[in-house]
Amino acid sequence: MKNWEAVIGLEVHVQLNTITKLFSSAPNRFGDDPNTNITVVDTGQPGALPVVNREAIKKAAQFGFAVNASVEKFSKFDRKSYFYPDSPRNFQITQFEHPIVRGGTVTITVEDEKKEFQIDRAHLEDDAGMLKHFSSFAGVDYNRAGTALIEIVSTPCMTSAKEAIAYVKTLKAILEYIDASDCNMEQGSLRVDANISVRPVGEKKLRNKTEIKNMNSFTFLEMAINAEIERQIRLYEEYESDEPDNVVIPGTYRFNPNTKQTELMRMKERAEDYRYFPEPDLPPIVLTQEFLDTVKATLPELPQQRFARYVEQLGLSEYAATNLILDKQTADYFEEALTYSNNTKALCNWITVEFPGRLKELGHTLSSIDIPAVHLANLVKMIDEGKITGRIAKQVADDMVQTPGMDPVDIVKNNPDYQPLSDASAIEPLVEKVLQDNPQSIEDYLAGKKKALAFLVGQIMKLTKGKASPDIVNELIQKKLDSKN
Amino acid sequence: MDLYKLSAYELRNLFLDKKVKATEITEYFLKRIEKNNKKLGAFLTVLSERAMQKAKELDQKNAENKPMGRLAGVPIAIKDNTHIEKEITTCASQFLTNYKAPFSATAVKLLEEQDAILVGKTNLDEFAMGSSNENSSFYPSYNPWNLDCTPGGSSGGSASAVASRISLIATGSDTGGSIRQPSAFCGVVGFKPTYGRVSRYGLVAFGSSLDQIGPIATNVKDIGLTMEVLGKHCPHDAMSLEFPAESYIENLREDLSEITVGVPWHFLESLNKEAHDNFVQSIETMKSLGANIIDVNLDILKSSIAVYYILATAEASTNLARFDGIRYGVRSKDAKNLEEVYDLSRDQGFGYEVKKRILLGTYVLSSGFQEAFYKKAQKVRTLVIQSFDAAFSNCDCICMPTAPITSFKLGTFQDPIGMYLQDIFTISANLAGLPAISVPSGFDKDNKPFGLQFLGPQLHDAPVVSYAHAYEQATKFSSKIPPLFDKEF
Repeated sequence: MKNWEAVIGLEVHVQLNTITKLFSSAPNRFGDDPNTNITVVDTGQPGALPVVNREAIKKAAQFGFAVNASVEKFSKFDRKSYFYPDSPRNFQITQFEHPIVRGGTVTITVEDEKKEFQIDRAHLEDDAGMLKHFSSFAGVDYNRAGTALIEIVSTPCMTSAKEAIAYVKTLKAILEYIDASDCNMEQGSLRVDANISVRPVGEKKLRNKTEIKNMNSFTFLEMAINAEIERQIRLYEEYESDEPDNVVIPGTYRFNPNTKQTELMRMKERAEDYRYFPEPDLPPIVLTQEFLDTVKATLPELPQQRFARYVEQLGLSEYAATNLILDKQTADYFEEALTYSNNTKALCNWITVEFPGRLKELGHTLSSIDIPAVHLANLVKMIDEGKITGRIAKQVADDMVQTPGMDPVDIVKNNPDYQPLSDASAIEPLVEKVLQDNPQSIEDYLAGKKKALAFLVGQIMKLTKGKASPDIVNELIQKKLDSKN
Repeated sequence: MDLYKLSAYELRNLFLDKKVKATEITEYFLKRIEKNNKKLGAFLTVLSERAMQKAKELDQKNAENKPMGRLAGVPIAIKDNTHIEKEITTCASQFLTNYKAPFSATAVKLLEEQDAILVGKTNLDEFAMGSSNENSSFYPSYNPWNLDCTPGGSSGGSASAVASRISLIATGSDTGGSIRQPSAFCGVVGFKPTYGRVSRYGLVAFGSSLDQIGPIATNVKDIGLTMEVLGKHCPHDAMSLEFPAESYIENLREDLSEITVGVPWHFLESLNKEAHDNFVQSIETMKSLGANIIDVNLDILKSSIAVYYILATAEASTNLARFDGIRYGVRSKDAKNLEEVYDLSRDQGFGYEVKKRILLGTYVLSSGFQEAFYKKAQKVRTLVIQSFDAAFSNCDCICMPTAPITSFKLGTFQDPIGMYLQDIFTISANLAGLPAISVPSGFDKDNKPFGLQFLGPQLHDAPVVSYAHAYEQATKFSSKIPPLFDKEF
């Protein structure tokens, strides 16, 4: 059995969140009634002409700088010809010869290993409309037609579905940080095509690749890549004696979520001739140094910069920092919480672990359910100040999810069960009782077994239903034990 | 009053002076159209109601002494590849017989804002592809000087309408000579502005990098008047020039003193004797007006036809891809599935010449052929531009005949190449984006008009028009009215 390695390159199509479309003044908005957000440009009326949206150019330039790419001073649009009802002019306006962004690097930590993925190019183009099938006919909704897309093409630099996911997640974070896209995959504002080939480890030449089109969820992306890698390896192993070129047939595939397999859409030989040529209705995009300098200087903090700050200045682990930065909303929430509490690790834990665990089934996030960052920070502060124990805090968090908008300070105040037991005179009898009941543990402790202490503390906490301040319990028990020594 | 003998400028002043009402003007010209259009085939649609409505508004406004537009009361015809909102734009194609324009072209909007009276939509070669108007899918248009002959094309209907004075001004579009050649054939003045001077928004595209809208009129001053209205920056056309409108009328010249006129003598050697003599006569006139005539080398222009028919068809093949029977236009009734909607609608909707050019354009862009055709043509286009740049470093304008021959009988050219060769003198202005004007320069032995062409450097629209004016004033050929139409009704 050979060892196989996969070679993966991704094309990520991202809808830019410009107010209007790439070449028309129609609003760029999802979910409205069919064919309401259209102008004569978007339906390809004869005599209508495209005029490029400067906001889209700016966002593309921001993206370029965000991935340390070269933002080209000269780029231009080309016509890409193909007939399809969702394409209103039967040609797409894209950038073929001179894309606005060349090169670039995306850095991310995958399983504790820092990885760098190379971008080949990124270009602007307009999105197509959408076909809708009804029982006796098909219709076309041109609301999406003309939406500004940036297509980000990586080099074939990935070797696994995991890496591909990490790369796309990082791209998504970058695009969210620079406010270039909402990256809503369910609504199709971020879609991925994957080019996949496999070869025996050590082989230099790339073998035939296949392309899987239009994946809009991380789950499907991962399943599809894995399924395709397995399919290709299976074929090469089954037809080991055949010429590799004849084993995996280049073509375009789609992922069928029901069978969890990739299915052939069309073979490469039948690929269309797109007859690219320069779009004569649009002048080249010529960017001045001044414009580029301004865009570069006004970039917001990027995921990697936040990552570095969290690790170096806030002392978070790389794992925790990665979890925080990849979702801008979460990271922004964390930033806000930081203004109320400086217990970074605790905040991070509550934000990335505790609350998501509670909110997942409800289909919510901290932001969507409207738990203000100050409330979460208050919860952390109450623990830090010894006003509640960690155990009570978890119950308070449960309540916060049930009654979002209620300050945990009030939740604690209003619930007698959550009142802390910090009166030493109330705890002392319980300490006495536990020590009487567990003489063996005392012996163990005195013999040097520190674990015994934790056991005893646990017993006391149990009796107080977690309300006793661990500090006080510790202090009391220590005092008693030391007196026995 | 013989309104048809007036220039648009004179007619407007008459109206502003309240010596004639807009409704009178409109009824007068609608009647001329009704009388003559069958013979001429100049109009595809006559906008009687729209025109009368506008005329009434103008009379009201004039009676109230409100400020009037620059083209107040002037009947203007619009080539039927240019949108007038809510009116049908056919492009003389069966494909668009049902296509109601959803918006007005910027040019149309500007004319209406300046109180022009739009009287109708004029005939053309289907999608502006042709040089004789024989490619109209409805009916051909005829030359007012000889009704057996073509008015030229593709703006043949516009030139025919103006020459016969059934409209005093018409718009045309010029991709390779479509304004200038019919103007020459019909003995009127036609101007193709610098590329980007007049907005293309609302003009159904043929060759986007070559198309320009421009005016056709009976005299040069009216060209200036119309250009002062049309020559404005338009935010809907990304190729529109961001320069303020020029003043044409106040810069019109009466002589050509201190003007150096370049003539590509070598390139003109193949002209037939009659055309050559006519051209030499024009040069003599210019000399007498004070012009300094020099020889310029523009031999590269012999390649311009090949370059043009590659670039224009390449662009057209994609511009016309949108006509697929899905969103608008006539969908084939025989189509049973998507492929058939495309195939049959396009097969039944497009005429022979249009199909031929779509195929040619598709071919020159195809992978494997693009390098040899499209890309090479782009390189030669650059050489054409450079040759003009070099020539204009020594002269203010360049003169050439507008066409190698005068108007010909319908059906003369069975060989497409022979027809394409008629564009030899007009195409280069489109390839280089130059302003170029055709003015009448006399008649051949059959009393068919010759045209003389002035080309200038980019943005020199007003100077080019002013040179043509000096020539026109010295020769007065443009005041000649075709005898068949030199009567009121």
